[in-house]
Amino acid sequence: MAAHHWRPLPGAAVLWAATLAASLLPWAVEAQTFSQQGYLETQLRAYPQTAPNDSGQFIGDALLHWEPTIKRSAWRLNAGFDARFDSHRMVERTPDVSYWDRETQRPAFDVSRLSVSWARGPLTIELGKQFVRWGKADILNPTDRFTPKDYLTVLDPNVLAVTAAHVTIAGQSDSVDLVYTPRLTPSRSPLLNQRWVVLPETVRGYLLQDGGAAYPGGPQFGARWNHMSRRVEYSFSYFHGFNHLPLFQANFDPVLGAVDVRRRYAELDTIGSDAAIPLPWFTIKAESAWYRSNDRQSDQYVLYVVQAERQFGEWLFLAGYVGEYITDNRNEISFDPERGLAKAFVGRISWTIDTRRSLVFEGAVRQNSEGFYGKLEYSQLFGQHWHVTPGVVLIRGSENDFLGQFHRNSFANCAIRYSF
Amino acid sequence: MNKLTLVLIVFALPLICLAQAPREIVNEVQTRSHASSEQYEGLLQVVDSGGKISDKRWTYVRIGSHGNSKAVIRFLNPPEVKGVALLIFNNPDRASDQWMWTPALNRDRRIALQDRSTRFFGTDFSFEDLEERDVDHFEFSSKGEESLNGEECWKIESKPLASQRSQYTTSILWIRKSNYTYAQIENYTGAKLVRRLKYKDVQNVQGIWTARTLEMEDVTRKSRTILKLDSLKYNTPVRSEEFTLQALRRG
Repeated sequence: MAAHHWRPLPGAAVLWAATLAASLLPWAVEAQTFSQQGYLETQLRAYPQTAPNDSGQFIGDALLHWEPTIKRSAWRLNAGFDARFDSHRMVERTPDVSYWDRETQRPAFDVSRLSVSWARGPLTIELGKQFVRWGKADILNPTDRFTPKDYLTVLDPNVLAVTAAHVTIAGQSDSVDLVYTPRLTPSRSPLLNQRWVVLPETVRGYLLQDGGAAYPGGPQFGARWNHMSRRVEYSFSYFHGFNHLPLFQANFDPVLGAVDVRRRYAELDTIGSDAAIPLPWFTIKAESAWYRSNDRQSDQYVLYVVQAERQFGEWLFLAGYVGEYITDNRNEISFDPERGLAKAFVGRISWTIDTRRSLVFEGAVRQNSEGFYGKLEYSQLFGQHWHVTPGVVLIRGSENDFLGQFHRNSFANCAIRYSF
Repeated sequence: MNKLTLVLIVFALPLICLAQAPREIVNEVQTRSHASSEQYEGLLQVVDSGGKISDKRWTYVRIGSHGNSKAVIRFLNPPEVKGVALLIFNNPDRASDQWMWTPALNRDRRIALQDRSTRFFGTDFSFEDLEERDVDHFEFSSKGEESLNGEECWKIESKPLASQRSQYTTSILWIRKSNYTYAQIENYTGAKLVRRLKYKDVQNVQGIWTARTLEMEDVTRKSRTILKLDSLKYNTPVRSEEFTLQALRRG
């Protein structure tokens, strides 16, 4: 296992990327296959309460996202670039461009996607930084192992792409996915000095230091077979690699009175399955995965989701349960929001009011009532480009519960997006 | 039977034979609109009950024969929904299978049968309205003839067969006598009129009479969507591998 801090791409890479883009542009325009889309989004979040390790109550954030695409016969180049800024240092203040997404903070400039794909007949090959999504459930996807996320604000994670070779062979009713990634892209866990890390009472007087991460050196591999039929869709998957969510090692330095927190990523094998069964009155979706690891600190368990959904006109109702069965408890110390949702009832109700307005409520409540999370979000489109989305999130519960520990982090939010 | 009755029958017989059965008329509509493939760029204007207009644009590509075809609808505009796509497998013996691809989520979702009455991405077309209606899926009865906007039409009632699932219990079809094209369809749930689809601006495109403007009215919501078909082409080469979930995700 190689331990190192990830160094982002140097600023000169921006120049290189711009040169490459400029050189490709005439080719793309000539072929009439260039398309693009993106958005500029600003967001203001207000927390009514301070947290013990974070006095900030108002956070502003701006994101420019641009997705150019070039298509030429069977070839396709997909790219995505992000530029960010925020008021709370969740975003880096250096002008470096990130590709591997291994920074603890969000990068100011990020290549969020950069892949080339080729498709002919039933075969599709995609190489580069791309999104690989597995699973059918809407609430949580235990089989979705190539999908690290940005969890800096835990409850509204953004998916990160992975650098991979992805081969798909798809027929009319069956498809096989083979994925190989040369290195791990980790999920981004909450920052130690911010409110989404809730410290136990025992360490609240000490200085916490980020001790960096020990990234495993090996590649990852996964395979998935999916079958579609009239009455059911199902798939089976296998993953061998590493958990993109970290285990923590804490070392106390008595001289400095500081706790050094280091992240590492355990080896992981999963065997998963998922299914969607459309019934006359509602659709059942189920997904489960068995997580196995040789790591002595890593638990072994089965994580599963069962949900039912039903559409009534413009209303969509979704209700489900996230469960967990631990086969080997090794008292792991980790950050795992997927398991953090286990043993909870979850639901979502969305209402499309008209062509411009919608309202969504989603929530999760722990079966022992120790944690609750609810989100109400209203969305309105103005003209063809502007979208305003105000919302509130309420979190309640006990300190010992994964959801409940964030009870000081209820917030109100307003996002304004200009799409182009 | 007196002589007069006999004479009337003899003279009326050819006329009775000439009058087509409603099923044959609908079948003729289907036959005349047959194309091995179809593609167009659709400009949609959604007019809400307050008169506000929002524009959308999509591409539509279909392959296969009527009622046993595959189609992909992909939004080009507005930016909010660009890339959203719908894959439709029209089946000869049952309701279509449909999958929706949402690029912002990087996920596809199968549209369940009970979701077919939902409006498709803010238009007045429901998911079910986007599937093809095969003549074998319905039973028909004549409602006579009627002039609609100055055009002589057959008026036919259609009801889905018991084996078919539909949000509509009855549809009334107006079919132009001049060219066997639909002029209007009214869709009912029970006795309640739910949606009205008008076929306008009929042109002959590559030998097929086609309405270049479709206007779907949601009677309950008092909103309507006008769909104009640009760059319409029939029987152009289309690759069958473009009609898979994988191709849907590729965009």
